[in-house]
Amino acid sequence: MTKITRILIANRGEIAVRIMRTAHSMGIECVAVRTHVEPDAMYLSFADIIHEEEDEMAEIPVFLDVEKLISIALKTKCDALHPGYGFLAENAYFAEKCRDNGIIFIGPSPDAIYKMGNKPVARQIALRHKIPMAMGTHGSVANEDEAIHQAARIGYPVIIKAASGGGGRGMRIVRLESEMEKMFILASREAEKAFNDPSVFIEKYIENPKHIEFQILGDIHGNIIHLGERECSIQRKHQKLLEEAPSPALDEELRARMGETAVRIARAVGYYSAGTVEFLLDSDRNFYFMEMNTRIQVEHPVTEMITGIDLIEQQILIASGGKLTIRQEDVRLKGWAIECRINAEDVQAGFAPAPGRIERISFPDEPAVRVDTGVRAGSSIVASYDSMIAKLIVTGKDRHDAIIKTKLALDKVWIKGTKTTLPFFRMLMRNPLFQAGTFTTAFIEKDLEKFHTNSEYEETIAAWLATKLFVEENLSERKTGISFDQGRELTPWLLRKRLTQF
Amino acid sequence: MTPERPTIKKLYALSNEGHKFAFSLPLKNVIRVNGRDYTVELCEDEKYGVHILWKNRRYPVEIVRTKQNRYEILFNDISHMFTVETPVSMQRKKVLRTGKGKSQALVVRAPMPGKIIDVLVREGTAVMKGEALVILEAMKMQNEIQSDVTGTVTRIGVKAGQNVMKDDILAEITVK
Repeated sequence: MTKITRILIANRGEIAVRIMRTAHSMGIECVAVRTHVEPDAMYLSFADIIHEEEDEMAEIPVFLDVEKLISIALKTKCDALHPGYGFLAENAYFAEKCRDNGIIFIGPSPDAIYKMGNKPVARQIALRHKIPMAMGTHGSVANEDEAIHQAARIGYPVIIKAASGGGGRGMRIVRLESEMEKMFILASREAEKAFNDPSVFIEKYIENPKHIEFQILGDIHGNIIHLGERECSIQRKHQKLLEEAPSPALDEELRARMGETAVRIARAVGYYSAGTVEFLLDSDRNFYFMEMNTRIQVEHPVTEMITGIDLIEQQILIASGGKLTIRQEDVRLKGWAIECRINAEDVQAGFAPAPGRIERISFPDEPAVRVDTGVRAGSSIVASYDSMIAKLIVTGKDRHDAIIKTKLALDKVWIKGTKTTLPFFRMLMRNPLFQAGTFTTAFIEKDLEKFHTNSEYEETIAAWLATKLFVEENLSERKTGISFDQGRELTPWLLRKRLTQF
Repeated sequence: MTPERPTIKKLYALSNEGHKFAFSLPLKNVIRVNGRDYTVELCEDEKYGVHILWKNRRYPVEIVRTKQNRYEILFNDISHMFTVETPVSMQRKKVLRTGKGKSQALVVRAPMPGKIIDVLVREGTAVMKGEALVILEAMKMQNEIQSDVTGTVTRIGVKAGQNVMKDDILAEITVK
């Protein structure tokens, strides 16, 4: 075993904080990178060493710059590097470069990243190992004409996916042959832009499935286990909003079958470290392999909460050559965990990003509530990165209990300064279909009319407040002489000042 | 000598959804719900900032934008748009509304800041409801901005490659 003593965190935000927390508990030092985009970011205060990245003129952000990150790791004498999620986490070239420079990449082998990252290659491997899959093309589709030909063979509806894709980007559902040409061009263009690779492939589109994924752990000695599933069907435009573990759709028998399949796929590419095998589950309980994510996932905490296993710790132990000490039969799923992704998004404007400065932020401090966040009061949610503010993870003894506790916890979250997805989750916890657990990935687009609850008294109070402001600004100015600033943005401070004068 | 202004006895808050709320002046810190009066208070402290106290619970509140008599109130993370009218301005509004000619040009605005990747239509193009007009990239996602109506594109406000702010005009569709 190689002892890891210092890790370069090649990431930012909550995942950087999350990794450092575990690393520190293992007695490992962490190096974080300060960027000019968010020089006062919270994750920096957790680092033992901060590398100052001052190149404002750089075109590529540092977290996407392979050569730069390697040179920082070498300069700061790191023996290992954790990529987190996003950025270069699933870049085989990066993992290889780390290895070439004697830096341990905390993740799977470059070969496994490549094989699973290239979706047509992954499909071929899955096919060879008789993994159930939706019908599809054997490789990338060359042009519109071939796309039309292939789709006719598979049968509509079909889904076009980016060969190098993931995370829901570069995907298009096509229901009619007449739409194929346009959709093919759009998907291919989006794929090129997002992944530097315009190639796409086509699969049969499974209608109204559930999105179920399995957490995998493997070591370099060939031991692979699964830690149960996560239910990720609450998505909007393929972006997950809420995840839970376990899934209300699975029983022991199906869990065992899907888990065994997930382990089989991982074994087929000699997988080690933490990874996730994603499946679609249809209403007849047929499941289809979709893709494997070769990184730690955003939603990993729900698995941690019901298994009691620290996934980052396992990643680090595996990276240092350790043997898995957990056997499959040791894995027990206890209780129920729900994760709400609290993002700076405007639920009333179709989840449009709402970047801004967090003026105040506080969360309930209770044993059932875990909060993974990378922001604090004064932090900014900047447009150049994702819109995540925090992950609220609530654990209960069963699903019903977890929903009740999440509902209470959501009411105690206090965020000022930007609009958030909180109203969406407050609504969701009260939604009968969500409570029943029978929802599919179509839930948000098809089954929901409104993305937030609208109680009448809330509107009445808001109306009262608007009237109060109007009175203060217009009707009392002759008496008090307060000027009326038209169209000016009121800070809470100014608002308060005026109201006290009134 | 300042002439005595007629005292305003009532104010109306009109929501964007067409709901009307009437408040008597002077404005009291009381709201009536289902025949019962509840006290509502606007407070501020170090820990929570500006907030509303209602039925022994705190709710975050924010005034996001004000324009003349228009207010956007963010209450408990949900925003509400209101115009506040006096009985006189209310009357004037009614008269204006009835005399107004029907304009059928629909303006399509950017729902979020971002970059225009592609403009899929030209001036004069006939579009169906739900048809994509432009591709807007925001936060690394490409979004199709679709037409809400069936009609003809009478104006294009953007070019491919251009950065736009929220609410910038992308196109104008005239309904036949």
